Amino acid sequence: MSGRAGGGWIVAVLVAAAIGAAVAAVLRLDTTGRTGSGLSEAYEYDVSRLAKIDPNLVLYVESGPLIHTGMNQSRSIALDGAGRIYVAGDRAIRVFDAAGKAERMISLPGEPQCLDVADDGRLFIGMKDHVEVLDAQGKTIASWDSLGEEALLTSIASHGDAVLVADAGHRIVLRFDAAGTLVDHIGEKDADRDIPGFSVPSPHFDLAVSRDGLLRVADPGRNRIDTFTLDGNLEFWWGERSVGIKGFCGCCNPVSFALLPDGGFVTAEKGLVRVKIYNSDGAFVGVVAGSDQFAGGKQIKVCETPEECQGIALDVAAGPDGRIYVLDPPDNTIKVFRKKGAST
Amino acid sequence: MDKQEPMNRRNFLREGLWGACLAGAGTAVGLSVARGNSDNMVWQIDPYKCIACGNCATYCVLEDSAVKCVQAYAMCGYCDLCTGYLIPEPKALDTGAENELCPTGAIKRTYVEDPYYEYTIDESLCNGCGKCVKGCTVFGNGSLFLQVRHDRCKNCNECAIAAACPSQAFKRVPADRPYLLKGADNK
Repeated sequence: MSGRAGGGWIVAVLVAAAIGAAVAAVLRLDTTGRTGSGLSEAYEYDVSRLAKIDPNLVLYVESGPLIHTGMNQSRSIALDGAGRIYVAGDRAIRVFDAAGKAERMISLPGEPQCLDVADDGRLFIGMKDHVEVLDAQGKTIASWDSLGEEALLTSIASHGDAVLVADAGHRIVLRFDAAGTLVDHIGEKDADRDIPGFSVPSPHFDLAVSRDGLLRVADPGRNRIDTFTLDGNLEFWWGERSVGIKGFCGCCNPVSFALLPDGGFVTAEKGLVRVKIYNSDGAFVGVVAGSDQFAGGKQIKVCETPEECQGIALDVAAGPDGRIYVLDPPDNTIKVFRKKGAST
Repeated sequence: MDKQEPMNRRNFLREGLWGACLAGAGTAVGLSVARGNSDNMVWQIDPYKCIACGNCATYCVLEDSAVKCVQAYAMCGYCDLCTGYLIPEPKALDTGAENELCPTGAIKRTYVEDPYYEYTIDESLCNGCGKCVKGCTVFGNGSLFLQVRHDRCKNCNECAIAAACPSQAFKRVPADRPYLLKGADNK
């Protein structure tokens, strides 16, 4: 009898333990995903860690209040010689004075992609597939021929009688004269001239002409900035591939750049959102702003969804006094930065 | 003994009418079943909501998750420095295992022409962790994305991954249009 009773106790204990284990398993079961995937470190990809910037490298501070573009889809920014700010987007150009006060709006027949203000005040506006030319009052002077369905104009710059247009769709720079006659294709793959052709994986393809008359073109697939003569000869390039602060990372950086009064460059990147300064030789100088500045300084902001990550990227411009103007399309604002210690 | 009716014109027409009625009923049932199948819903990931959190790899009731990475070739930049294929600081832009981002080596890199490379997914190795998707989304064009593969998915009434999805990217879609493809592939 005692043996049977002892056996019964053992069974009861085992059953109780099994029930306890089952209850514990059910209670520990996470059906909500809140505890994470449970994958090992090998599966982690902490992008925000890469976005951290040494504060000692930040040489600029935000200057003045934000300028709201008043647009739903701001795309491109440019400055004229007097420091007026021009923003393209929403089938219009909006003009602000140097202090950021709205001056006027110029309506356009379509969606502008990029713009440049010539020394004489004319506006060269890159639409998707052609160029519109406006006089200083905003009246249309000319509408150049379409460059085809595949064309996607992403940057435009005037220099004397030349107008340079970056066509991301055809991965080529086109040189026109001021009347809109196509003069030359620049950057086409040409082994005899040692030109590898531009690598443009996404519609980020910027250019500018420096005061020395050389054409600077971002080659985002190679993470560098090329220098051409206006005749189309590739002279040299600079740029380092790296997630480190001195380099450009990802497939399409720098997404935009502008030339500084001292011949240096200000560049903007997507992915790891950062705005940086390089000298005229392409050596890293410092940081204007990092991801945290574009989230109100509260936290490092790294995109998550495709909408955030593949949205329109930052565009930059430089004022004659060295101030940096950063157009933030997701926010439809312009942030102005000045060098630390420079007068406000 | 049963007496068999002779096949005269009246019997022939009567039998023919019955046959036509049966055929019609069969057709109606068949069409109804087909329509019922098209009304069936299956699970799918909205690639524009997915944040590549990694839960797809571990919450699926299948040992080998039904979620796999897919490639939208029309969106891909065919980059030499592919941020879906390479770790953030690769020693070299090549196929060395130490440079690969995918922990299971499920992405194949093939040279096309300078400077372009094609990236394809080996689904037998992919576990749906989404690490490559995150790299491609943040730094690249977002051509790599996750989809529920219906040759594997059991279409559970209560999908464990959907319940664990932090971005509400799982949705029910018609079985006759079971994939939510990105970009030009969706046109």
